Amino acid sequence: MQKGSVLIVDDEPIVRESIRDWLRDAGYQVATAESGEEALEMIEKQDFSVMVVDIRLPGQTGISVLKEVKAQRPWIKSLIITAYPSAETVSEATKLGAVDYLIKPVVPDELERLVRETLGAMGREPTVTTKLEAQPKPPVVEVVKVKKSFVITRGSLKSLVENLTKEIEVVGVKSRDNKYVYDRIASFDELCLDYDVTVTPPTKYLMPAKETLLKFKVGDKPRVEPVIEDIPRVIIGVHPYDIKAIELLDEAFLATNPDPNYSTRRQNTIIIGVDCLNPSPKSFAPGMGTHLTETGFDLLLTDIGTAYMVTVGSEEGADLLAKYAQVREPIGDEIAKQKAVRDEALAKYELSLDVPRERLPRLLEDSYDDPYWESRSRTCLSCGSCVMVCPTCFCFDVQDEVSLNLKEGERSRIKDGCMLVDFARVATGENFRHDKASRFRHRIYRKGKYILERYGRFGCVGCGRCAIACLAEIASPVEAFNAIAEAARVKEEAKRLVKEVRPETELYAPRFAELVRVGELTPREKVFEFRFKGGKGLGHRPGQFVEVSVMGIGEAPISISSSPTRDGTFQLAIRNVGNVTKALHALGKGAIVGIRGPFGNGFPLETLQGKDVLLIAGGIGLFPLRSLIQYVIDNRGSFGRVILLFGARSPAERLFLDELALWSQSPEIEFHETVDKGDESWKGHVGVITTLIPKIQIDPKKTMAVVVGPPIMYRFVIGELKKKEIPDENIIMSLERRMKCGVGKCGHCQINGVYVCQEGPVFTLAQLRDLREAV
Amino acid sequence: MKPKVAFFDFTSCEGCQLDALNVEAELLDLLAAVDIVNFREVKTEREDNYDIAFIEGSISRESEIPRLKKIRDQAKVLVALGACACIGGVNCLKNFLPMDEALRIVYKDDAKYYDTMPVRPISAVVPVDYYVRGCPINTNEFLKVVRALLLGKKPEISNYPVCVECKMAGNVCAFEKGMFCLGPVIRAGCNAICITSGRYCWGCRGLVDDPNVDSEKEILQKYGLTVDQVMERFKLFNAYQEVAK
Repeated sequence: MQKGSVLIVDDEPIVRESIRDWLRDAGYQVATAESGEEALEMIEKQDFSVMVVDIRLPGQTGISVLKEVKAQRPWIKSLIITAYPSAETVSEATKLGAVDYLIKPVVPDELERLVRETLGAMGREPTVTTKLEAQPKPPVVEVVKVKKSFVITRGSLKSLVENLTKEIEVVGVKSRDNKYVYDRIASFDELCLDYDVTVTPPTKYLMPAKETLLKFKVGDKPRVEPVIEDIPRVIIGVHPYDIKAIELLDEAFLATNPDPNYSTRRQNTIIIGVDCLNPSPKSFAPGMGTHLTETGFDLLLTDIGTAYMVTVGSEEGADLLAKYAQVREPIGDEIAKQKAVRDEALAKYELSLDVPRERLPRLLEDSYDDPYWESRSRTCLSCGSCVMVCPTCFCFDVQDEVSLNLKEGERSRIKDGCMLVDFARVATGENFRHDKASRFRHRIYRKGKYILERYGRFGCVGCGRCAIACLAEIASPVEAFNAIAEAARVKEEAKRLVKEVRPETELYAPRFAELVRVGELTPREKVFEFRFKGGKGLGHRPGQFVEVSVMGIGEAPISISSSPTRDGTFQLAIRNVGNVTKALHALGKGAIVGIRGPFGNGFPLETLQGKDVLLIAGGIGLFPLRSLIQYVIDNRGSFGRVILLFGARSPAERLFLDELALWSQSPEIEFHETVDKGDESWKGHVGVITTLIPKIQIDPKKTMAVVVGPPIMYRFVIGELKKKEIPDENIIMSLERRMKCGVGKCGHCQINGVYVCQEGPVFTLAQLRDLREAV
Repeated sequence: MKPKVAFFDFTSCEGCQLDALNVEAELLDLLAAVDIVNFREVKTEREDNYDIAFIEGSISRESEIPRLKKIRDQAKVLVALGACACIGGVNCLKNFLPMDEALRIVYKDDAKYYDTMPVRPISAVVPVDYYVRGCPINTNEFLKVVRALLLGKKPEISNYPVCVECKMAGNVCAFEKGMFCLGPVIRAGCNAICITSGRYCWGCRGLVDDPNVDSEKEILQKYGLTVDQVMERFKLFNAYQEVAK
């Protein structure tokens, strides 16, 4: 059914064609024209009932088309559509016979209704001008509503920006030295809207690095005069995380004790944001919930490829669009496209916060004494780069400067930061955050706890600038947050263990063994042979140790001197040096002592098997090594060459004389012995133990060296072994440490992170190279 | 009563003391505020009665020591002017040579007429009240110190590294531009002029009070300098502090 014929005149194809389709669907006969000229040509040839005409047309404007139509075809009823309504245009158009007008973006139902009413009124009402005058349309601001999103072409955005540069200071993101910075822009082409992150944040336009607060006069009649800068400014290209940072500054500087300098600048600043679609690899904005924002901007752009979506955040933003830009309603999949590009951007973030950010304050609360702060801040340069590039760091110093005539001056505030050494120093010289660790911790606490508790927003927006600026690579809050979260998780798991574990009630309680034999080695050293009740073996490996108790005196770690191959009893060779050993030396056959263990890893028998073994003992290093020597002799077939070197300080300090004699005669082992200092009776080799090493020939590829002796010996022996080209992995050492508990709890035996009683006492040199406290 | 001010130079290029007067707009105010009673570069009259002594140059000869001590005895306030006086400066590069070799390189056959000794900053000889750092000095900082002294207050001289002012200037980090920079351990006050001008920090203002030199060295190595090159960087202006460690 033909309801009537309609001509649509609009230069924007999308508008023209969509109106055509709506009206066709509604049953009208529709023709279209791209320009005023084309429309007038068509009207010459064909009659129409209604003309829908855009006011702003290239060439002949909508108003002049109306004039022509009124002159030539006065019966055609005209409706005007415009994105730029003004009282003047409307009144001019109605004088020229326009029936009504619609504001772009045009709503289909409303248009259809108007066309229908216009057609219905034809022939009944001569004019509807009075109706228009009686019911004036709402004013301009209704064009673009706050909180609504529209589509703006790049061309229209450009004209918006170019128009702004003519009227107001425009600041935007520019490229510099392959990075991005905020700076004054003079034209749209300078502007980068697709960037990862700027070197410094846009907050410098709200809080400059240095600004004058007061001008003053010095002297008997001092006077002060506040200095407040109010330069209207537009900042274009602000990412959501920076918008969130500005919202925090607003909270800190506007909510209580409103800061006159900040608030004046803030009120004079228009923020045009842009969604961050290619985030910096150091950014973790999603973790802080700042990768998107619905507030804090006047306008927010999203690059949807063909054009930009523009979301209106304030009346000021709406005014800007109304004044300088052409926008239209999103159509088709444009809304979906905006969501899609945002989702794609979200997937590009490389860093994530491992815990919900809401948990950060509590986590930090519980981690104040964590060793992390100390260890992680070791390389901190205290250079302040992290706080200087931070959008949420707003701390400052205040200084007076006077002129040389000493009559007037200025009081300024200068950006300052808690990572700088003197930040918390007072006039008396006291520095309340004097060490790197406490400053490092304080900054992270501000980011994840203090600021949140004070202002209700996190003090970190996850922009990652600090991580980029930090040469020591320690500044990223997400790294600190994740580290303490991990530490807390480990603690949490330990707590869970508490419920599941079945306590070993005998962990600290010794078993009792009987002393069955005592042999004197030297005046200071004795060998003790023990047997458990019922002859039960100790169940040890060579190189392990036990904790020996003399009840009432105490407990001491003693290495086991005998091989498990000679079980039934076990032997401990002991030098009389401390309370427990002194008490042991006083015991005779039949005495009862407490034994806990065996503890520790022992020598790596599996690795030694099939190899040539070079065993080196210095002094009472022979005590633990003897357990291995006996084991090797008792399993002689499992090893290649067996070379044994032993050195004592003097002939009188030689140990296990019987066994030394046995070994020296045994065809199964190559035994070399030396004393540091000889005497008349000594016929053997004289010299420190290292002097024996060059004498022996070994194959470094198949030789494992096992070295046990006093700490001083290790360095020199290792030097000689390295000359023989034995790799670090094949040099095995047993370390002496103060092992109080034997079960990895008390901490006394710890070397860096290693517990000697658990991972040791036997280590390869390769392992020890990483333990700087070891040798 | 205007304070009497004197300028003295030791081993130096004398550039800093000239820069002290290169203050253009404020020169007349400066001359109105102080009496310059002794300044070899600008006037012939000399008076040995002064309140404030500005010392340029480092100490490189025995004969300079009593002269400096005499100045110290006279001056109520003694201010070190420039890198040579404050930290020893480039002159200390000589300290890596045997002294007789250094003399021979400079004076050839005439070396026998001269004496020399390892170079040191003036603080190694006499107590120093204030420092105006840099090679050359920053005239604004010089004026800041003068104004503070006129007011009788302690000048607020930054004890933080160049990075702070460099970031305030909005610069892209020199390391990110492929350069090696001492900024993280060198005292600010220069407004990061070298980096802002496209170069890097050479360290002319000396180390901050508590520099993390180890970390800075690690960073320089991480970015590609050898250990020797790192030391060369530090030696240019900071040889005295580096060797004294």
